[in-house]
Amino acid sequence: MQYILEAKRLCKQYQDKLALKDLNLQIRPGEIFCLLGQNGAGKSTTINLFLGFLKPTSGAAYIKGLEVASNLTKVKEYLAYIPENVMLYPNLTGLENLSLFSSLAGFEYSKDELMRYLLQAGLPAEAASRRVGGYSKGMRQKVGVAIAVAKHAQVLLLDEPTSGLDPKASNEFSELLLGLSASGTAIFMATHDIFRSKEVGTRVGIMREGELVDVLSAAELNANELEKLYLNYMHV
Amino acid sequence: MIRTIAKKEFISTLRDRRFVSLSLIVLLLLLSATIVGLHSYQNLQEEREVAQHTVNEQFANSADRHPHRMAHYGSYAFRPKSSLSFLDFGLDSYTGASVYMEAHRQNSANFSQAQQSTSLIRFGEMTVAFVLQMLLPLLIIFLCFGAFTQEKENGTLKLLLSQGVSLRQLAWAKVSGYSKVVALVVAPALALASLLIFGRGAFALDGDLLLRLLLFILFYGLYFFVFVVLSVVVSALHQRSSTALVSLLGIWILFCILIPKASANLGANLYTTPTRAQLDADVHAEVVKGIDGHNSQDERAEALKQELLKKYGASSLDQLPVNFDGIWMAVGEEQSSKVYQKHFNRLMGIFQKQNRISEWAALLNPYLAVRHLSMGMAGSDFGHYVDFQQKAETYRYHLAQELNHIQATQLRYGDKETRLSSATWGAFEPFEYDTPHASWALANHMISFLGLLLWGIGICIGGMRLIDNTKIV
Repeated sequence: MQYILEAKRLCKQYQDKLALKDLNLQIRPGEIFCLLGQNGAGKSTTINLFLGFLKPTSGAAYIKGLEVASNLTKVKEYLAYIPENVMLYPNLTGLENLSLFSSLAGFEYSKDELMRYLLQAGLPAEAASRRVGGYSKGMRQKVGVAIAVAKHAQVLLLDEPTSGLDPKASNEFSELLLGLSASGTAIFMATHDIFRSKEVGTRVGIMREGELVDVLSAAELNANELEKLYLNYMHV
Repeated sequence: MIRTIAKKEFISTLRDRRFVSLSLIVLLLLLSATIVGLHSYQNLQEEREVAQHTVNEQFANSADRHPHRMAHYGSYAFRPKSSLSFLDFGLDSYTGASVYMEAHRQNSANFSQAQQSTSLIRFGEMTVAFVLQMLLPLLIIFLCFGAFTQEKENGTLKLLLSQGVSLRQLAWAKVSGYSKVVALVVAPALALASLLIFGRGAFALDGDLLLRLLLFILFYGLYFFVFVVLSVVVSALHQRSSTALVSLLGIWILFCILIPKASANLGANLYTTPTRAQLDADVHAEVVKGIDGHNSQDERAEALKQELLKKYGASSLDQLPVNFDGIWMAVGEEQSSKVYQKHFNRLMGIFQKQNRISEWAALLNPYLAVRHLSMGMAGSDFGHYVDFQQKAETYRYHLAQELNHIQATQLRYGDKETRLSSATWGAFEPFEYDTPHASWALANHMISFLGLLLWGIGICIGGMRLIDNTKIV
């Protein structure tokens, strides 16, 4: 099967720091790949390289077989991005924000269709017409998911999306990811949350100081074993 | 894509109460400056029209007089306010409003508003041009400083780019959205100004006035565009809104305060002008002694006398068929006019060199460019003032020479008693000043025009290249 997201010997060197070292990675459609690691381990750098926001020092990132650095516009048709904190535009309503981002991706939806996406992402109907400035973080993340879903993205890049969410919101978010994965969306999620990784992930990667040191099948480990393994790597 | 983001920027801005309040203040200032400017224009224009009519009537209805008495009685030229000067007072408040036109003397324009006002006028006047040139850029800076930095700070920049928007598309969308907001603030005031000009019959409607107004609006449109693009580019080059704002305010101070002051001071220091007393003394000395000390007044009079006596075969001046006094007056007038013109041209040359520094500085500074162009279109710049002074001098010269001709042909030599009838003076055409065409005004400020145009093109090309280097992460 063709990999939808791939990294080949991907490196990123800042002036005096090697942020990412020889990353080799393949992710299939429908797979949820969770990348664990401490702050500064290189998780966000990896996502930024897949998004084309950073140029690789060497190696290449691919989305649907297209090299990201040389196909910046094309690859963005396939991917969606949800940051740690989806801020959106506070002076626009949830509906207006979704309409704006969908329109930028080339999708023009009716108000009913937009509402359906927001409800599908778990946003209460009464909130959709309120300005986003008054939303909680969880509500904003849901609009972020709605943006990704409305774009029909085949790859979802998530940068610590459940950080700061309460357990209920975090759980709802996980459910959404599983639903998207079931429909064939490949998900790449950078996170600190070992237990969430075990719960939703197909595979879990552990990154330390810019290097992917291990990739595990989430089904073959329980959460405690994964935590123990992770901590071992971090203390070496 | 650009339209979508531009629409979002427009809506977001209109929902921002802080910006709406600020815009309303600027709009109110613009509207009040328009109305106050028009009121001032109408008062001054009416005063000058009445004054011009009065002196014309007084001249035409003068009592029976000797023509040389009439030449010294003289007349006044009142400088009419140009129609658009209510939008930009320019130098009008500092340059004289009237010229006393008499024989032998070339007086400069006197009675400026500044002379008749308190020193408060030195702080500048609240005109439409002041609001458009100084305050609107500040409003634009407050509107645009966060164009990119706020997207970066909020994390929405990454979200936007991940949807397939390029940095350039985003920048153009921001420029488009903010330009609409600026237009929304400025348009009501310009619409009011246009309505006042074209709707009330207060102005003589003609193509030149329309062209000047259109160019006036076009130049300001380009000026605002430059500031909008500049602010967006500066925002894109910074990571934080606070530093972007400080940089933009620094640019504003440089453009609107430091460079104009520095160029004016530099011009005045490099090219010093003689004092009024010195100029008058130089003119008088040359008239008496002849240009460059050659051919003095007495020598010229004697030469003319001998020439006429020889020409008419006469042995004394009273045998001449023409009045020597009138001819000598005419020759003297021609000579003094030449001397005056020489000194006037030299003085204007110095002023032009001083102004040239400011004009060239307009290549570096869009504020200076629009200031020159605005005054030029409003007819309140130095060029229009000099044009009036020159036309008044031309009229004065011809008036004096016509009176000299009357003396030479209708009166006998030495006759100081004959009085010509009042009807003689009524036959003289009164002084009328026509403002030069807009193309003349534009040609005077070609460097500023090029400067503004180059800024517009340069900021689009150079600015967008810089935006390509925006740090996203």
